[in-house]
Amino acid sequence: VNAATPGRPRQVIVIGSGIAGTAAALAARSANAAVTLIDGGPGASVLWTGAIDALDWQKSAPVVALAGGDRRVLDALEVLSVGDGSCRLLTTAGLVRPARGCDASLLDVAHCGDGPVGVVACDRPGWHARSLARAWGQPFAALDVAIIRFADESILPDVDFAARHDDSERLGWLGNRLREALSRIASQWTALVLPPLLGVDRPRAQGLSRHVGIACGEALGSPGGPPGARFEMARNRALPAAEVQVVRGRATSVSRGAQDWSVTLYGGQTLGAEAVVLATGGVLGGGLEYAPSETRLATALPFAACAPLRLTFEAPIQIGMDGRRIDPPGSLFGYPPERFVGAFARSSPFDRAGILVDASGHVLGQTGPLVGLFAAGDAAADTPRSWLGALASGVRAGTVAASC
Amino acid sequence: VAVPEETDASLPPPRVAMRVVDRPLDEGSIDEVDAVVIGGGINGTGVARDLSLRGLRVALFERNDLAFGASGNSSGMIHGGVRYLSQSPRVTETSCRDSGYIQHIAPHLLFRIPFLMPLRAGARGRIAMELVDAYFRAYDDFQPLKHGEPHCRLDAPDMNRLEPGLVGGLIGGITFDEWGVDGVRLCVHNAVDAIEHGAALHVHTTVEEIARARGPTPNARYVVQARDRMSGQSSRTAARVVINATGAWAPVTAALGSLPQARVRVRPGKGIHVVLDRRITNYGILSEAIDGRQVFLEPWQNVSVLGTTDDDYFGDLDDVRATSEEVRYLVQGVARTLPAVRTARAIGTVAGVRPTLYEYGRNEDALSRDHRVVDHASDGAPGLYSMIGGKLASYRLFAQELCDRVVDSDFGILAPCTTHTRPLPGGERVPNALGLAEAYAITPVAARRLVYRHGQRALRVLDGTRQQAAYRDVTCPCEPVLEAEVRYVLREELARTVEDVARRTRLGLGACGGLHCAARCAQIVAEERGLGAPDALAMARDFLARQASSRIVALGTEQARQEALVCAHVHAALGGRT
Repeated sequence: VNAATPGRPRQVIVIGSGIAGTAAALAARSANAAVTLIDGGPGASVLWTGAIDALDWQKSAPVVALAGGDRRVLDALEVLSVGDGSCRLLTTAGLVRPARGCDASLLDVAHCGDGPVGVVACDRPGWHARSLARAWGQPFAALDVAIIRFADESILPDVDFAARHDDSERLGWLGNRLREALSRIASQWTALVLPPLLGVDRPRAQGLSRHVGIACGEALGSPGGPPGARFEMARNRALPAAEVQVVRGRATSVSRGAQDWSVTLYGGQTLGAEAVVLATGGVLGGGLEYAPSETRLATALPFAACAPLRLTFEAPIQIGMDGRRIDPPGSLFGYPPERFVGAFARSSPFDRAGILVDASGHVLGQTGPLVGLFAAGDAAADTPRSWLGALASGVRAGTVAASC
Repeated sequence: VAVPEETDASLPPPRVAMRVVDRPLDEGSIDEVDAVVIGGGINGTGVARDLSLRGLRVALFERNDLAFGASGNSSGMIHGGVRYLSQSPRVTETSCRDSGYIQHIAPHLLFRIPFLMPLRAGARGRIAMELVDAYFRAYDDFQPLKHGEPHCRLDAPDMNRLEPGLVGGLIGGITFDEWGVDGVRLCVHNAVDAIEHGAALHVHTTVEEIARARGPTPNARYVVQARDRMSGQSSRTAARVVINATGAWAPVTAALGSLPQARVRVRPGKGIHVVLDRRITNYGILSEAIDGRQVFLEPWQNVSVLGTTDDDYFGDLDDVRATSEEVRYLVQGVARTLPAVRTARAIGTVAGVRPTLYEYGRNEDALSRDHRVVDHASDGAPGLYSMIGGKLASYRLFAQELCDRVVDSDFGILAPCTTHTRPLPGGERVPNALGLAEAYAITPVAARRLVYRHGQRALRVLDGTRQQAAYRDVTCPCEPVLEAEVRYVLREELARTVEDVARRTRLGLGACGGLHCAARCAQIVAEERGLGAPDALAMARDFLARQASSRIVALGTEQARQEALVCAHVHAALGGRT
């Protein structure tokens, strides 16, 4: 395939369907490129719990206004709510924490008044209204409402239970239940927090809040819950709407042809383009694999000492962190993991290692044979763990890939 | 590096005189008991139970938690000590005999682990087979003591039929029989029985001084000063007898009484285990490590365990951790026989320090596993004893030996030992798990695990669900552990932190590494102890960090992605440690 025919729009391939890949694809489309996105299945974004962080949320950082391109991606994805200030989210671990934004079904207690907030008590695994109200402190109090309609709903996984509330009749039933419960209480409540159950297809918190008359929303749950699923659904609507071609499959190699880049998928299919954005994620996303030399092929004696992280596909690029490659260790058995990874470290190679890029997000070596190759999100080295940072890097890479 | 000099045991050791305190000065704040036991491991709790059953008033002090050291970090077997048969058959015999008694007093706690010992073909293979066969014929003589099966000789096809993953050109192998046990539960059962017979147990309470008492009451010879490490509160306890049952800490404890440390010298031997997700074999499998030592893989409760190293330890006894070096040594050793362990998913490691009897100039493995009671009367401290050495399997006998001596020479009473005939709490009868599951509307798996840990007392644990239906909730889905059990161990079994709960229930020690249960468990702990929410979060973080550091040394490709997920989730929902 010769992509570079005059008059044709520029061809861009985005590998990865997480927040960075989605942002890159949408941004490249905005710049009029023809975009193909390769979706290799769930990664870190689908395991996302719903908090949109700009930086490490434990450090108080100034709220930075969003760039126009970033705002357009957020609007296209519709499920993401990022205001002008910061918001406060409730975690099921018992914490009230700040965030830059959140999934639209989550309850933001920074913007719902100062009155008492009800914690809806129900028989669901991992949801203990009284303990949570106690842990979150004032002004939270448990509120008994029978929101379980069928017996199986006490053991149904969060995502399946949330999907039942996509049905408007069911959501109305839930709203009636909450209204009845509130009508029995003398004092004026300002908000209700529920377990993660407010829709999968779309966020249902706004509809429910209108029905009940006060703000209703979810707490921040465990990975693999409804916010990740809602992101997936919103992405699956936004990409076709923007005329991004989505190909399901895993990329096995990215290589430079005579004039363009070609991407080979598992199964042998090959796609060509003038620019490729790698938004393949880090260790959690699946773009990097932890594989010290001793584990390769599970042989008694490894063939060679090698760096313990590698890309899960072939590509002519370097991975590393802190702007340089990870040196291979002086041992066939790799680095001691306690030294390399660090137990429970605030910042470990699992977050920081990735494709080496320059300050503008270009894969190193752009002037040479790697021109047209970009990295975004956790796939790029030294990006902090941040949903907004990943989104912004995707927008940047997609825009440049479409225009250079 | 300053290395303490080797002292000649025949010379009188330099010694500071024991401090003398006038008891009456502070009479009001002193508790008086017959015996103070220091150490909440298997020996300490075993002695506390034994003395309490004989009618003595006992106070026990434990610096960390019950079963914190070697007792809770062993291979989880009350094995017959087949390894010691050629060096010290006495250890084998006493281990086997006591293993039989433990089956009688805690039937719910034991599970059979049949072992395979593969033998390689080759010039020496056939001879090795005959030698091993003869060796195990000798071991068979001890098997009836612990109700084990006699050994079997298997050919290579049989071995591969039993465990298809075995490699290495086998000539055949030998089977032998051992019993698995949860060492923590064994300690806790002993502790609870002691409490129910009048003993006072103080966990997270460190002894600061053992002084000689002087006062009008002739009964008390010593005053033990202790401090609760969590509340900071100090206490003084007067006793006629003081027993140092602190395992590898024994010389540290002896120093608190100004006793010559050389008399209670142990050679601390660090041993680690690697825990793999699920039972990956049906049989325990022996293998040979690179240095010729025997290492093994055993199916244990609902996981598989690789063990064991034995290395001299000079580090901090309160913070013993496995290293990736040790993990690689074990994986390499077992992979030679069962290569699948290389790619199996490691979910954690455990590390402990054996209080082996001291001897210079011998390899760790060649050291005797025997135990010894040190009577400090000859150091001028009558009624002060140290217990050194010993094995989990023979803890009861060790306790009996000491207690027989104490009741006779220090109290002059006739009180026979009953620890081998009276069931431990919960060991009276093993209830039907499926029946419980139905009666209390819980899952059969949760019921089965609960019965394993609590025996008959599972009924008491579940009674909590009658008052509060929410206590039926599963707090830890991996094991699984019900909220009722978490609350039970906090109320009845002296647990005070998430880590203590985990030790007693195996909460958070499964595949998810505490992702689903640490925060919830911390909330329950805070509720039961009246702590604030920030304390609960800190406790959850501490537990998660500790678990992560135990897993990371065994990090492989299989669990790296989950490790990243745990980290991401913890940072999003709890925040890192500040």
